[in-house]
Amino acid sequence: MLSADRRVILQLEGVSKVYGSGELAVTALREATFRVYGGEIVAVMGPSGSGKTTLLTIAGALLRPTKGRVTICGVDVTAMNESHLAAIRRERIGFVYQSFNLLEALTALENVRVVLQNNRTNGKAPALERARDILEVFGLGHRINSLPKKMSDGEKQRVAIARALAKDPELILADEPTANLDAKRGHEVMDLLRQKALELRKAVVVVSHDNRIREFAQRIVWLEDGRLHEDSATPLV
Amino acid sequence: MLLVARKNLFSERIRLAISVGGVALSVFLIGILLSLFRGWSDQVGGYVEHVPADLWVASDGTTDFIAAASALPNSLGSQLALVPEIETVSPLIVRPLEMRKSTDRPDKTFDVQLVGYDPLVGLGGPLAMKQGKSPPGPDEIIIDNETARRHDVKIGDRLTRGTKSLNVVGISTGGDFVFTQAGFVTIETAADFLDVSPKDMRTFFAITLKDPSHTDLMAKRLTLATPGVKYITPQQFASETRDRILGNILPILIVVLIVAFVVGLAVAGLTIYTATVEKSREYGILKAEGFTNPFLYRVVFEQSLITGALGFAAGAGLTLLVAPFAQDAVPQFVVFVRWQDILGVAGVTLLMALVAAYIPIRRMGSIDPVTVFKG
Repeated sequence: MLSADRRVILQLEGVSKVYGSGELAVTALREATFRVYGGEIVAVMGPSGSGKTTLLTIAGALLRPTKGRVTICGVDVTAMNESHLAAIRRERIGFVYQSFNLLEALTALENVRVVLQNNRTNGKAPALERARDILEVFGLGHRINSLPKKMSDGEKQRVAIARALAKDPELILADEPTANLDAKRGHEVMDLLRQKALELRKAVVVVSHDNRIREFAQRIVWLEDGRLHEDSATPLV
Repeated sequence: MLLVARKNLFSERIRLAISVGGVALSVFLIGILLSLFRGWSDQVGGYVEHVPADLWVASDGTTDFIAAASALPNSLGSQLALVPEIETVSPLIVRPLEMRKSTDRPDKTFDVQLVGYDPLVGLGGPLAMKQGKSPPGPDEIIIDNETARRHDVKIGDRLTRGTKSLNVVGISTGGDFVFTQAGFVTIETAADFLDVSPKDMRTFFAITLKDPSHTDLMAKRLTLATPGVKYITPQQFASETRDRILGNILPILIVVLIVAFVVGLAVAGLTIYTATVEKSREYGILKAEGFTNPFLYRVVFEQSLITGALGFAAGAGLTLLVAPFAQDAVPQFVVFVRWQDILGVAGVTLLMALVAAYIPIRRMGSIDPVTVFKG
């Protein structure tokens, strides 16, 4: 297994999230402190309702914490306004979703291309060419003109991972990426994600309650009732 | 961004068809009503405007050519003829009446605007002949082409009113007022046929001036010289006639135009709103991927504009297609399509598209990208 570089890509310091107020207040995350390094794959595991999605959306600059500080690639995003947060998401973060979340009216190629076109800092190659190349790399060259409804779930998730990696982000956040896949497809998808993330030195956070994820992670963090616990049995390699 | 707008729009063909159909129907309705109004306006004032007179003379208080309540003594014409600046004076007897073909049932009547003119002067007679002879002789009438078409009247037919009748000797054009048409007879025939009393009473005088550039000045001088008589230019008289005849229709027309606009707006707005709500998860994904609200608003605007453009093309096309044949089906459906009106309808469609996008845009602004992580 490749070792992680020591560059901190994601850092949460004493992050709490409370929904509602007064007697109706629900604490989803309590004083979470957490670091992810470049080239590292971290699995955040826990039962339903433990705060995994809250952690992921705060780490993804989609949700502001009630307390604490969030830093992405050295940039404090805690108090940023929406347009700056959108820029961080656009340039630094790639998302992989449980239900693939491809745009139904767009082909595989267009799904990747549309994200690239929005990423103005990505001037490495024309969006169309780059989208085609990355789909080829993901073994989807024969599917570039297929609509999501014509693709298998495994293919859809590969397109989603291709889309997440296409804009060359430093941080990949995956939400239950195997939940809608059978064991074989889930294994293939996770293997692909790990392989590409390590090859491209990306920091990856996979949120899941699926135990099969453990074998792909270099580090496992447990989340229960909004509290994070490092799994001592799987130390950082 | 146009890619997402276009793809989303064309992926739901039935909804797109409904949306475009709604806008097209609205555009067609607005276009055809505007053309109808233009057509009526053109026809109603056309004769008065095209008679080559410099001034129309009527008794004060006369509102229009068609109702023709004006009454003037023939001696006024003789006085006007003595004015050195006046070149020609043409006395006219004008009155609306019901007539029928002598061979038809007594209840099968139609309206004719009987115009009695002096064939020796010619001014106020038929604008252009299509068929038959001109001028008419005693007890002869030249009917308008529209009368001939609508009521199947031919040269040689006799038109009757009570115990009197006139022989149709010619068919002219340019005397169609939509609701009635001109029928030209000699002034003596008109006086006799209408039992005008006193016999020397006239309805209007049409006059020409030796120097038409002094029309306004002459009108003022003549008004001062002959109290109780008004002198107006053909354009003013045509405008007054239009206002009088179409003034009552205009408010109804405006209401129908507003209804057509609202229908188009509602159909386009609702379909685009439904599409936005249905795709709200996808817009949430785009937000999560870093697309900002202004970028996403463009998607809705572009969808709305594409819908509007397609609806306009279909609606305007239908207007241009239907307009030439409308009068064949309904004689009163006189339409005149002007490119300025089509341009105006394009502006209205643009407004429709922009307003239709407003509520979907507000809905889009409130989409929370966090929701895409739930399920």
